[in-house]
Amino acid sequence: MARQATAVGSNDGIGSVAGSIFKWTVLTFFLVFTFFPLVWLVISSFKTNIELQTAPFALPQVWQFGNYVNAVQVAELPRLFLNSVIVSTSSTALAMLITSMAAFVFSREKFRGQQSLLNLIIAGVLVPIIALMAPYFRLTNVLGLYDSLWALILTYTAINIPISTFLMYGFMKSIPAELEEAAVIDGASFYQRFSMVIFPLSRIGLVTAGTFVFLFSWNEFIYALLLTSSVRSRTLQLGIRFFTSQFFTDYTSMFAAIVLTIIPSVLVYVFMHEKIIKGLTSGALKG
Amino acid sequence: MKRTLSGLMMVTLMLLLALPVFASGQQEQGQGEIVLNFPTFWVGQDSKAEPLAQLVEEFNTQHAGDIRVVIEPNPDTDGYRDKLNTQLATGQAPDIFVFNPDPTTFQYYDSELLFDFTDYMDDTWAADFQQSYLNESTRDGRLKTIPYEIGITPIWYNMDLLNSVGWDAPPATMDEFWQMADDLKAADIVPTSQMTGGSNAWTSMLWYSHIMASLGGPDVWDRPLGDPIYVQAAEILGRMFADGNTTRDAVGGDAGVSGGHYMAGDTAAFINGPWYIGRIRSDAPDVHAATALAAAPQAGEYGGAQIGFLLSNLAAGNTDDPAKAEAIVTFMKFMTDPANVQQVSEAAGSLFAVKHELGSGADPLQREFVRAANDATFVVGHFQSQYPVSVVSEFGQALSALALGATDAEGFVQMLVDANN
Amino acid sequence: MIVQSRKGNRLGIILFLLPVLTLFTLYFIYPLGFVFVTSTLDWNGIGTPQFVGLQNFLDNFQTRTFQISVRNNFIWLFALGFVQIGLAALVAILLARKPRGWRFLRTVYFLPNVISQVAIAMMWAALYNAEYGAINQFLEMIGLENLTHNWLGEISTALPSILIQQVLYIGYFMIIILASTMSIPESFYEAAEIDGANVLQQEIFITLPMIKDILVTTMTLAMAYGLRHFEATFLLTNGGPANSTSVLGIQLYKELSALDYGHANAIGATLVILGILMIVTIRAIGSRGAAADRMQ
Repeated sequence: MARQATAVGSNDGIGSVAGSIFKWTVLTFFLVFTFFPLVWLVISSFKTNIELQTAPFALPQVWQFGNYVNAVQVAELPRLFLNSVIVSTSSTALAMLITSMAAFVFSREKFRGQQSLLNLIIAGVLVPIIALMAPYFRLTNVLGLYDSLWALILTYTAINIPISTFLMYGFMKSIPAELEEAAVIDGASFYQRFSMVIFPLSRIGLVTAGTFVFLFSWNEFIYALLLTSSVRSRTLQLGIRFFTSQFFTDYTSMFAAIVLTIIPSVLVYVFMHEKIIKGLTSGALKG
Repeated sequence: MKRTLSGLMMVTLMLLLALPVFASGQQEQGQGEIVLNFPTFWVGQDSKAEPLAQLVEEFNTQHAGDIRVVIEPNPDTDGYRDKLNTQLATGQAPDIFVFNPDPTTFQYYDSELLFDFTDYMDDTWAADFQQSYLNESTRDGRLKTIPYEIGITPIWYNMDLLNSVGWDAPPATMDEFWQMADDLKAADIVPTSQMTGGSNAWTSMLWYSHIMASLGGPDVWDRPLGDPIYVQAAEILGRMFADGNTTRDAVGGDAGVSGGHYMAGDTAAFINGPWYIGRIRSDAPDVHAATALAAAPQAGEYGGAQIGFLLSNLAAGNTDDPAKAEAIVTFMKFMTDPANVQQVSEAAGSLFAVKHELGSGADPLQREFVRAANDATFVVGHFQSQYPVSVVSEFGQALSALALGATDAEGFVQMLVDANN
Repeated sequence: MIVQSRKGNRLGIILFLLPVLTLFTLYFIYPLGFVFVTSTLDWNGIGTPQFVGLQNFLDNFQTRTFQISVRNNFIWLFALGFVQIGLAALVAILLARKPRGWRFLRTVYFLPNVISQVAIAMMWAALYNAEYGAINQFLEMIGLENLTHNWLGEISTALPSILIQQVLYIGYFMIIILASTMSIPESFYEAAEIDGANVLQQEIFITLPMIKDILVTTMTLAMAYGLRHFEATFLLTNGGPANSTSVLGIQLYKELSALDYGHANAIGATLVILGILMIVTIRAIGSRGAAADRMQ
């Protein structure tokens, strides 16, 4: 295994007691800070809107299971959910594939204009995406993709190119050259160096960037609304917004819908992450 | 130099925007059937969602084989507006859509994107409407949107709270109003609901409009921004934020805050339109029963005014196809048919620019709205209907500065003037 | 060290870059062209555009709200870049030692990233609320009534209130740094232990240098988010009170809503330019640092 729990406080006295107190204070603080929203969200999803507004931190007087009935009744929730899964996984997979290829070339090869091209792509991280509604709408129509799942898959993949190239580049650059050189001596070609050496060793980067792309695609709202018009290509975030109307938002039913939709993503996150991290540490051990 | 550059920029913009559209939207046509897409935010939990869906279904049955209207659900009003603006900026108007009339969106009248109803609005059709709303929707002699839903926003008083401190009728003048406020505060009741948050500081923007109407009369909005009465009205509104006259979370609060306090019985006076009836009836039945509607207390020369405005117009994308034009007009006439409007009105509690009966099933508070509108000495639009979005979005910022003492009433108006440039 | 380019790789390089470059051109170069072109126009998206040169930029620079927004963007940039990353690194280093329950903690720390921002913002608005908010109720309970505030509604407290809640959501960056920290070979620490280095010394002299690259990476990203910051402020204060929490993203959105594409995209262009300056600065500092490393 990688690092053992070096039991702080096992052998160096007073300093480590202070260290231990400090450590658990920090960890507990963040535990409360991050866990609280979820608890609050779940409890709030059982309240009435008046209770939410006037006593946001009290328990509901009567637990409103009706909110969940409302949430389930959002038109075509399963379909929206399926679309979200397709869009998020496809854009994640596509983005991972193409940006790892590009990052490989940027980090392990040399060619003219390499650095400026990389800088140009990375600068894309800074673009305020909200300013691009008109061009993206036009582009999607030109490509004939309006109101299709591909419209969202391509848009989300493209929007995430800068950040995931940036992350993948960083990780690939830190892979020691010796590992690759050994493969070259064994006669590995350009493609084999990518597929057999660098790509597998970049799992850590893939997980990091992939999580990012997935979450972005899962939570994105503005472009999902802009580029689609029917249930065959719409995602969950639009379903959740069915609880907002012009003059009033039914927050508690909306929260119920959010709770329903985050359960699968939390489960996916926990299992996927655990699996990949495991593979990753065992891989590191071999290396 | 500048001209070459200008030309260059122009050509580039053309290239960027005028790329051919290979596949825009849906393919229409199914054996002569005309499909009209109707993106709208009257879906989901909107009170008009169900009656609208019913109407459209009815229409589609009546015209089966000829015309089919397809509702495209666009939840989230802000998102709907962003999408519509984007579509129009790229030159593609939806077939049928909801148009929020304000000075910013009326700019669309200058384009060829909107269907022109001027020649279709004959005397028979026009007779169904209240003339003033048709006038408001006409610019340079062209009627490019059909007035539909309107808003009346009288002051709401919780009479249980007023009675509890010895007031059996709403205050008629500002002096009485402040007296009432003091009596309420003595009993630990907050006099008014206010807010500076959201995109337009809605509740407080309506208070401001009422005060302005009382100071300036029917032609109040003819006065240019910067006129002394804007300052005078700001002083009165500023006082509503001071001395405990509103809740402590009013600065920065949104519509949930101002409405929430009224529904919880924390505050005695509030402003909103008829669309809020259904909400308050289900969430706070006691407050619903205790609510009386009134004109604003008289602050200046003019009393008894109401704030009324076009809330949503119906619009359509321009078309060269006479059959499609015919279909659009047919649908619009169907939507604005008094019997159909009555159906939506009673189900949703909303008010309309189309004259119609109100059946016995209507909510008593909805009747109060109609009475308030009929009793009004005159009706003027709200501040938001008179100024472009840039000024409206600065209103809440200027108001919070005023309420926090970061500026005075003159500074408040100056911020609005600056945003107007 | 970069592996030397070998013969026959040229086609491979082109093939590997092609997908990214195609999409990047379509989804970044073309739209940015649109942003920069429209930033020089007086255009409402409907009528005929007028070329106005740099007038939109000059107009913006002279607006007080724009100036406040730029200042706030820099505050965000530093708060996210240094404070947030600092905290993320601290927690990552603590977790890398695998204290009891570290897997559980790692998952929980990440949870806020999975929950919608709308819900999180609602909760914070409720926490900060002056009338029934938990923070004020707590202060009143312990007798510190004079410390209560209308947290999001006062000029002195609004910006810090939003900053604190955003800076403390370290989950995503923490995970990145943690993954990197945990891949440091155990033998490094064993050797240090034998040499008598205590835990703190190990972290300072082994961990930090080993994760320096990832720290710079995450810091750059966090700073970019500082410049692009929009959502939490939009949901919590919409830039108020009195524009005191406004950032460029908020102003851009307001101009777009007002159909003022010229001024809106001038803000967009300003953001891109500021961002490029930021990256160039970080790279310059980075390469100077690298040069200094070589000197030693």
